Amino acid sequence: MSDILLEIKDLHAGIEGREILRGVDLTIRRGEVHAIMGPNGAGKSTLSAVLAGRPDYTVTAGSVSYDGRDLLALAPEERAWAGIFLSFQYPVEIPGVSINNFMKAALNARRKAAGQPELKPAEFLRLLKEKMAFVQMKGEFAKRDVNVGFSGGEKKRNEIFQMAMLEPTLSILDETDSGLDVDALRIVADGVNALRTPQTASIVITHYQRLLEYIVPDVVHVLKNGRIVLTGGRELVDRIETQGYDSIDG
Amino acid sequence: MDKTYIIGRDAVPSDIRLAEGESMRLTLFVPEGTDCALDLTVSLDGPGASLDLAGGWRCNGSENVSLKVTVRHNVPGCTSRQLFKGVVGGSARASFDGLVYVAPGAIHTDAVQESRTLLLSDSATAEARPQLEIYADDVKCSHGATTGYLNPEELFYMRSRGIPEAEARAMQVEAFLAPILNRLV
Repeated sequence: MSDILLEIKDLHAGIEGREILRGVDLTIRRGEVHAIMGPNGAGKSTLSAVLAGRPDYTVTAGSVSYDGRDLLALAPEERAWAGIFLSFQYPVEIPGVSINNFMKAALNARRKAAGQPELKPAEFLRLLKEKMAFVQMKGEFAKRDVNVGFSGGEKKRNEIFQMAMLEPTLSILDETDSGLDVDALRIVADGVNALRTPQTASIVITHYQRLLEYIVPDVVHVLKNGRIVLTGGRELVDRIETQGYDSIDG
Repeated sequence: MDKTYIIGRDAVPSDIRLAEGESMRLTLFVPEGTDCALDLTVSLDGPGASLDLAGGWRCNGSENVSLKVTVRHNVPGCTSRQLFKGVVGGSARASFDGLVYVAPGAIHTDAVQESRTLLLSDSATAEARPQLEIYADDVKCSHGATTGYLNPEELFYMRSRGIPEAEARAMQVEAFLAPILNRLV
């Protein structure tokens, strides 16, 4: 097993003919947490969308290697089976589909792809209960339609619950802190921290330093105008906090 | 009274009449692969009669589905609730004509009709013609018709969790039809 989990080289990507990422280079090793910070419009969400395989984004140049595979050649579901998880900035409501059925379909599809049998109903239920408790979601949420009528904090907890269910190798948290109060932030961060292992890695995308007080990154990148313009350690977070993004040339 | 008709399997009466105080829960469903030309009239003939009608159709091939439903409020104080949901894919054609008729003197009528279509392909066609004919004052009547496609945001969200595209689409279709399908069991 290689030490390098994700390797992005000179990635150019955009949407509707508009280039947003203009040559991103990024290497992530197993066991690491990387923070990607940047001002609004820098391309943070585009990067997460491209890594998860959102169909409306187009990659125009560059390469992404994940666990030795060409990530860009994989469909979104294949990326999920390979262990990639995106926590959405705006989790999507799915009327008519319960969390229970949603997670059952997701877990069993991945097991099928891995040549494993479906989970027995009792096993699934036990797992569901355990992971809901892990993010302090009430059990009755399992019967509710995915994200329909959830508060902002409940939606984000639901993301981390799904992450706990799927146990990803690479998790990408896109602005998971937006719209969260301190209590919800702590629950989300505790969840993410508890899921850290020496084999897995995380990308934490955020505009603010707040989340990074709870999820401590090993490496911090600043994304500006579609490029990573600065990479450093945790001290970068403090510099951005006191001097702002304008102090960094991009 | 609770009646369910699966089109293509059951014969549907063309004329249903509800007397004073009678209430009926009526469900119609057109399964995949069924052609039909249905013309149904439900008349509310006695005061206080009420109708709860749900209809659904699912076509994904070259079906030709035509539904004409007339609900006649002939006397005062009757209630009708109608919900129609159709999924139209492939090169199928589906048309829905829904008329709510309120006779002269049928005051305090309370009628709601809603029709929703989910289009799955560009070569499918769906038409909905909801109509209200109201000849009495002091009534509450409303209708609404919408046509839409599967939501790409929902699809991507499901796929990002590992649900294959075809299964994600099928789950969305099931969710859309659930209010009708739930009445069949």
